Amino acid sequence: MARSSSKDAQDLFRALWSAYAATPTNLKIIDLYVMFAVFTALIQVVYIALVGSFPFNSFLSGVLSCVGTAVLAVCLRIQVNKENKEFKDLAPERAFADFVLCNLVLHLVIMNFLG
Amino acid sequence: MSKLIFIFLFLAFIPLLCTSFTPERPSDRRVLVLLDDFAVKSSHSLFFNSLKSRGFDLHFHLADDPKIALQRYGQYLYDALILFSPTVERFGGSVDAAAILDFVDSGHDLIVAADTNASDLIREIATECGVDFDEDPAAMVVDHSGYAASATEGDHTLIASDDFIKSDVILGSKKIEAPILFQGIGHSLNPTNRLVLKALSASPSAFSANPKSKLTSPPSLTGSSISLVSVIQARNNARILVSGSLSMFSNRFFRSGVQKAGSPTKHEKSGNEQFFTELSKWVFHERGHLKALQLQHHKVGESSEPSIYRINDDLEFSVEIFEWSGTSWEPYVADDVQVQFYMMSPYVLKTLSTNGKGRYFTSFKVPDVYGVFQFKVEYEKLGYTSLSLSKQIPVRPFRHNEYERFIPAAYPYYGAAFSMMAGFFVFTAVHLYNK
Amino acid sequence: MAASDAQNGVSSVRHAFGNVLAFFILLLIGVLAFSIRLFSVIKYESVIHEFDPYFNYRVTQFLTKNGIYDFWNWFDDRTWYPLGRVIGGTVYPGLTLTAGTLWWILNSLNIPLSVETVCVFTAPIFSAFASWATYLLTKEVKGTGAGLTAAILLAMVPSYISRSVAGSYDNEAVAIFALIFTFYLYIKTLNTGSLFYATLNSIAYFYMVCSWGGYTFIINLIPMHALLCIVTGRYSSRLYIAYAPLVVLGTLLASLVPVVGFNAVMTSEHFASFLVFIIIHVVALVYYIKGILSPKMFKVAVALVVSVGLAVCFAMVAVLIALVASSPTKGWSGRSLSLLDPTYASKYIPIIASVSEHQPPTWPSYFMDINVLAFLVPAGIIACFSPLSDASSFVVLYIVTSVYFSGVMVRLMLVLAPAACILSGIALSQAFDVFTRSIKFQLPHLSDHSQVDAGEGSSENVVPNDSVKADKTEDTSKERTSKKSKKKEKEPVEKPLSKSQIKKRLSVLPLETSVVAIILLVLLGAFYVVHSVWAAAEAYSAPSIVLTSHSHDGLHVFDDFREAYAWLSHNTEVDDKVASWWDYGYQTTAMANRTVIVDNNTWNNTHIATVGTAMSSPEKAAWEIFHSLDVKYVLVVFGGLVGYPSDDINKFLWMVRIGGGVFPHIKEPDYLRDGQYRIDSMATPTMLNCLMYKLSYYRFVETDGKAFDRVRRTEIGKKHFKLTHFEEVFTTHHWMVRIYKLKPPKNRIRGKTKKSKSKTSSKTASKRKGLKRNPF
Repeated sequence: MARSSSKDAQDLFRALWSAYAATPTNLKIIDLYVMFAVFTALIQVVYIALVGSFPFNSFLSGVLSCVGTAVLAVCLRIQVNKENKEFKDLAPERAFADFVLCNLVLHLVIMNFLG
Repeated sequence: MSKLIFIFLFLAFIPLLCTSFTPERPSDRRVLVLLDDFAVKSSHSLFFNSLKSRGFDLHFHLADDPKIALQRYGQYLYDALILFSPTVERFGGSVDAAAILDFVDSGHDLIVAADTNASDLIREIATECGVDFDEDPAAMVVDHSGYAASATEGDHTLIASDDFIKSDVILGSKKIEAPILFQGIGHSLNPTNRLVLKALSASPSAFSANPKSKLTSPPSLTGSSISLVSVIQARNNARILVSGSLSMFSNRFFRSGVQKAGSPTKHEKSGNEQFFTELSKWVFHERGHLKALQLQHHKVGESSEPSIYRINDDLEFSVEIFEWSGTSWEPYVADDVQVQFYMMSPYVLKTLSTNGKGRYFTSFKVPDVYGVFQFKVEYEKLGYTSLSLSKQIPVRPFRHNEYERFIPAAYPYYGAAFSMMAGFFVFTAVHLYNK
Repeated sequence: MAASDAQNGVSSVRHAFGNVLAFFILLLIGVLAFSIRLFSVIKYESVIHEFDPYFNYRVTQFLTKNGIYDFWNWFDDRTWYPLGRVIGGTVYPGLTLTAGTLWWILNSLNIPLSVETVCVFTAPIFSAFASWATYLLTKEVKGTGAGLTAAILLAMVPSYISRSVAGSYDNEAVAIFALIFTFYLYIKTLNTGSLFYATLNSIAYFYMVCSWGGYTFIINLIPMHALLCIVTGRYSSRLYIAYAPLVVLGTLLASLVPVVGFNAVMTSEHFASFLVFIIIHVVALVYYIKGILSPKMFKVAVALVVSVGLAVCFAMVAVLIALVASSPTKGWSGRSLSLLDPTYASKYIPIIASVSEHQPPTWPSYFMDINVLAFLVPAGIIACFSPLSDASSFVVLYIVTSVYFSGVMVRLMLVLAPAACILSGIALSQAFDVFTRSIKFQLPHLSDHSQVDAGEGSSENVVPNDSVKADKTEDTSKERTSKKSKKKEKEPVEKPLSKSQIKKRLSVLPLETSVVAIILLVLLGAFYVVHSVWAAAEAYSAPSIVLTSHSHDGLHVFDDFREAYAWLSHNTEVDDKVASWWDYGYQTTAMANRTVIVDNNTWNNTHIATVGTAMSSPEKAAWEIFHSLDVKYVLVVFGGLVGYPSDDINKFLWMVRIGGGVFPHIKEPDYLRDGQYRIDSMATPTMLNCLMYKLSYYRFVETDGKAFDRVRRTEIGKKHFKLTHFEEVFTTHHWMVRIYKLKPPKNRIRGKTKKSKSKTSSKTASKRKGLKRNPF
């Protein structure tokens, strides 16, 4: 049972990897960007667990900036994904402009909240 | 004729009167003396002369003189009143008990001397001031062990008492050696009344009863709870002296020698003169009158007074306190003046240090609590006028830009936020280039 | 209807005409929404109403005078003496900033309006905005026709009018607009999947957080809707785009508002959104993997992910629960708890329960506040289910939750009103749609004119103000039956136009029925209009600071409040403290500019309880309490002479309860005779000796000789008494406000007098704290 499930898992990961390898490069870049943001967020969570929550607003803004970046990047990824039928009439340029606007607002707020 | 003289005197004293109204000179100047008969004026001349020699302007009137008046056009004509009229049932003119009490309530001083058979009027005035004379009109204070040995009468109503109030402010710094001769009615005080003080109390063996009749029931007043002379300082700092004996003030008592029964020392002169001279100085505000001014506070390192403090500010506080010496304001020196920084309860309580020139100062940190605070100086010391000063000052929390910034512990978060921003730019570039 | 224009518009000219018509209708709706709220200015004068608006007005004045940074850091030392209040950190600044900005813009355009004028008219202006927002929201849900109908309904809905008449300068005035607009942007994002709208949505949410504590409704309703979509299998990537950025940006923006701050992440009100945030990510990942894997491999993946994912989920939930449970109130604020558990407030927090607008509403108040909409809502819900879209399911969820909340607190009727308007708008519009189409298909030669007819039908809603239909029940039952019959053949709005032609032929009703039904619907609308205008003119326009009453000899105006406040501001020292029950705190600071002990911002229960205790104590104890708070004047409101029912004697039991909650020596049963609250000769001695009774009825017997209280309709119990520690300094013309001054302590302390009297007099002459009346 255990072996079969681990074999299944291996199969699964192989299938996942091959399926993922087929995604276009620009989506992969976005994925990398998301991974970077999530990783930074995790580091901060570990850090706050170590040193305590004194400058809580800084922690919040730090983590939320990462989470926000990740979420917005995911949104962008959804919109520029050619396979996604829902957004066929949404031009990638428009999607990217929205993304930039959203990020500007996000970072403005973060700057306000950081200090 | 006397009226004319009075008016003339009044006019002559106008410059003096004008100055005497200012709070800068709290000592009384014009004193109205109400007498039962003018014989008292001569029989008590020593006391009156001591007042006159200190600059008081005494106006003698019979208590039932229909022309006497305490005030005219809403202005009081006198600064103090001496009632040496224990038997008067009605005052003349517009004066009555209520008028006298109003006189006190507007900040003027009063000396009341009662005696055996004191009238209801005098008793009522005394009661209003917190002094209860023995109900029995014929009662006197009798002391079978503390009587004055020089007395010839055998009923021991002439008492030699040396149980003074322990206050240099009230009785002067010079110790009164000789006992005080007293013959008259005793009174009691409500122990919960904080305003009234026993200046002279009877000895523990004293009691108050009618010496002429046999004692049938236990006397209502006994022992040292009997007060012979009391002083009262009202809340507005008006001072009142109530004595159970008019003869205490008389030349006879002032001059007579005294030997307390059972005591070997015989004093040439009773303590009465010194006692009443000192006491009258106190009553007429020649001693123990304080004033506070220049309540100032400011932040450390600044000199102007702010309209609001911030929590945890360091501030300096100072106040000036002076005492009236009878002729001028002298710096008051004490080590027990305290300031409270008060909001419902004192958050800071500090004893002020003084520079010996009347200035008291301290510095402290504003507590970590915001609200509307008060600087409070409440100084109530036995014999002194009470000082109660307060100054309201709000204390605010930090402004939004007064909090700490760039906390080292938060650097990773700053780093994360800025790396996200940098990442955003890099990503934008890459994303656009890739397309 | 313009809606049918838009739908049937075969030519682009007609389409454009429809748009222009819709635009003008919207403009008229805005004018209507604004002008229907001006009754209070016309009938009374241009004043700020009630209690809270006075505080907002005062804050706005401060803002316009001192600028935004001073406002942000404003520490107010004139309220809650001696604690003070950090206004900047405890107030929802949205309304103030809005009015301040308006004033600033007008002034920089050289239109010199006073701050007060701007404040008075802020609410009507924003109600016009709110009706436009309603149009947008409903348009997203069911098209232009429904949108216009909903907008016109909202412009006149009495519940909203009650909070937004000119002068009612309160948070709700702008918050309702913000609420509807946020919802619109959410739906818009959901329908388009555009990040642009998502950003706007967060900013609208930020404005809502700035404006009103009711923003928690949004941050709970939207997650509920997202969850509902996920559970019903309607997840889409549009939902992700609509939801995830809103949570992140919204939380960040909400934390920027000082009054919310860390609450945005620390309290349970917001946890639902985080939980759904996690769930939506898991779901998004699952959908993504499903998309890129073959079905077989997906099954394997599900098996694996479910086992791992469940463990992670449980861990997260456990952490959340631990967080929640660690706080004493389970992380919920009192007002939210009283929402979830309607009995909570009356059990634990009398101060919340004491406010009349926190009480559950009565059934008539539903009819009064939303009128015929209550009957149209079920029809609207049905219309939303055919077909069910993401947007319409959101509206349904909105109405269901708001009906519950309005059932708990009268005040939240205001949240219900827009939902009711939207659904009624949908219902009416659909009904007209069906009926006009039936007529059109049976009278083909009239088809050209039918749109015009329908269009007039909708605008006629505004005009008629006579002929109130008496048998409205018949009306509505008719309404419902017709609705049921057409339920099956309801036309989906989003369907392409060409296909509907065939269907429409199937869904025709008999001509006569249609005509009668349309007439009935118009009558129904007319009834609603008449009721709304009546409500705006009569019921909700009273500023409560000026009262009027009609009697046989004409109109009486009671302007006692302003008289009293003016007296205070002219006859007392600037730093004097005035004590009153907290209802009058805001007005005293705003109008009399005097320091108060407690006010309508009931943040410190102990302080209020102290005042309550003083009011319910005997005179001497009360004097000591007030003196310790440096109070110089005590203000009581007394309606016994003119019959003003909401006076302090009627509020007195709350003072006893709140006081007794903190100071246990005040016991409510002491004030009640056999459980009854009475002030006549049967009243308890505690009641007759308490300060509130004495201050209210002092010298009352001198007015008519009988001391007949016209509010309680009884003769008072104790008529002749004297005050020893208080003295009356001012009583207004109609005795509605009475102001007393604390007497200073006696200069001398009396001794005993005669033996007979000695006992009593020594008692009264016991010691008191020293206040020097006349220091040298």
